[in-house]
Amino acid sequence: MTSTDLTIGFARLSDCASLVAAKERGEFEKQGLNVTLKRYASWAAMRDALAHGVIDAAQMLAPMVVGSAAGLGPYPGAFSTSFSINLNGNAITVSNTLYETIKALDPNSLIQRPLLPSALKTIAAKRRECGEDPLTFAHVYHYSMHGYELRYWLAAAGLEPDSDVKLVVVAPEQMVTSLENGLIDGYCVGEPWNSAAIDANLGKTLITSSEIWSNAPEKVLAVRKNWSQQNVETHVAIIKAMLKASQWIDRPDNRLTAAQIVSRPEYVDMPLDIVQPSLTGKGVHTGGDLIENMPDFNVFHRYSANYPWRSHAKWIFSQMVRWGEALSGTDADGVAEAAYNPELYRTAADELGIAYPNVDEKLEGAHTHAWLQENASSPIAMGPDTFMDGKIFNPSISGQTGEKIQVMSDFVSAKRAG
Amino acid sequence: MVSRQTLKNSGSKLTTRSDMKTAKVKTEQANQAEQSAPPAVPLRVLVIDDNPERANLVERGLEKNAIVHTASQLQGKQLLDLIAEILPDVIIMDCESPNRDSIESLRTVVQNNPKPIVMFVEEENDTAQRAAIEAGVSAYVVDGLTPKRVRPVIDVAIARFQVMDGLRSELKKTKEDLAARKVIERAKGLLMKTRNMTEEEAYAAMRTMSQERGLPLKEIAETVISVMSLLSGPKQE
Repeated sequence: MTSTDLTIGFARLSDCASLVAAKERGEFEKQGLNVTLKRYASWAAMRDALAHGVIDAAQMLAPMVVGSAAGLGPYPGAFSTSFSINLNGNAITVSNTLYETIKALDPNSLIQRPLLPSALKTIAAKRRECGEDPLTFAHVYHYSMHGYELRYWLAAAGLEPDSDVKLVVVAPEQMVTSLENGLIDGYCVGEPWNSAAIDANLGKTLITSSEIWSNAPEKVLAVRKNWSQQNVETHVAIIKAMLKASQWIDRPDNRLTAAQIVSRPEYVDMPLDIVQPSLTGKGVHTGGDLIENMPDFNVFHRYSANYPWRSHAKWIFSQMVRWGEALSGTDADGVAEAAYNPELYRTAADELGIAYPNVDEKLEGAHTHAWLQENASSPIAMGPDTFMDGKIFNPSISGQTGEKIQVMSDFVSAKRAG
Repeated sequence: MVSRQTLKNSGSKLTTRSDMKTAKVKTEQANQAEQSAPPAVPLRVLVIDDNPERANLVERGLEKNAIVHTASQLQGKQLLDLIAEILPDVIIMDCESPNRDSIESLRTVVQNNPKPIVMFVEEENDTAQRAAIEAGVSAYVVDGLTPKRVRPVIDVAIARFQVMDGLRSELKKTKEDLAARKVIERAKGLLMKTRNMTEEEAYAAMRTMSQERGLPLKEIAETVISVMSLLSGPKQE
């Protein structure tokens, strides 16, 4: 059997772990794939490489694929995904100075979970009155979960993200030095870049992304849409290798081994101490001064984490509309269908005897506790998908609306006021 | 000058040399404009490159026809501040730079920049895209600029990046040649000492072997050295 040569792009972040495991544990080889992993320092460079065929697949931000399907960015309609790499994994960290200011103004907010610093609004207003520079928060890419999570949190704390604060994009590996130099006051980023700031005693993590939206989508394995259509077998083989690696890494007793591999120079190139908390879920910082065990800080397989839920794509698209990036008239169903192709996932999972959902969407935010997905090849244990404000996102265009229920058409028919 | 301030604050290199030439450039442009309408204001170009030599090379290539700023060793937020100050029409940068994501955010963030910035390739055909990517150049332009105006700037940048690549591979070759010569000299010395050969004989012997085996002279010399050290080992007892 001849093996197919492939190059897959990845970023210097802990959640490249399942991709690295698939390579290091020979899962790609078992599927007849000879895979080279190539590290990129920017999402833009990885995207260009994928678009121009320099690489065959990429660990990409879920919103980049949705954005491309919505016609945003330089390669409209070029990408799609059939595999979600992980859920959760980001956190918001602020400088020690900002933390102390919040503490002085509103100490009570710091002992509540999820931590919602309403004092930020006061600080922002005061800075404006005094003619000072606005509070500046960084995230990693204009179409990123980091950006939408940061905005969701700021909005929940009563701020208008586009006018009360300044949002900038900074590369993950520049976050810690930018915080240290006072260029930014806080950021939302993946690991190990929150742990690195805490380790250097430069900041405090106020909230993890799973407290903003539990089991939110994060990275996906993106491919060129036309490549996928012409190479169905190879694409399914990649998904199968990734499923096997994800199953392995999902086991808590394999996480330390995974952290050891991922910390190596050719991958994340950071000390094990700093890479380890996010991957093992042990000693995760949040809520300012709390250190907790969060086994679900990174979810790589359980809760059907690898399934590309079109309701995830639609939520992401709803945020693009909410924040004025996408036009409200765009066909949300069409965007989700173009971006996420669950059919290939089902094929791959079926060949491996792994249970898969029969439905493309779920009510996001409707499950506050563990639940059972029964509309599946066999029932799947699912995790909560709660939003921090208790809202429910109904991905169907029309449906019952209410104070708590947001329907897709709330976003696509007209831009919501405020 | 505003950009000097950035220089002071960040302790990084930032040149605005061509600002002084603005007046001259404007006259030239005016002369051109007389011949061909419409009159064009020179483009403001920002070259972002952590390799200052290459940035200079690009700057020198462009400064006759544009107002050029260069930025080296600046990080995301500093670059965004700089862009808000100088409002460039075109940004040229290394395609592998981690700062690209910051620059791309200018597509949506209007609070920093009154006009959105798009990737140049969005305006261009596939051949032009390939040429830029192969040279390692990525370019961003203010939305609405015609490709015709920007094209010459990008072409110069691509050419200068290629020159730099050429210089680099030449340097690499020189270094390799030097290293090879050292090895060959050492092998020659060993042969002369242990086999009582003249310098010419030693060299000729290695060259004959190199030709017979179809291996580079450097590899033969390395073999000679390792064999000699193996043979000289037990003798020392």
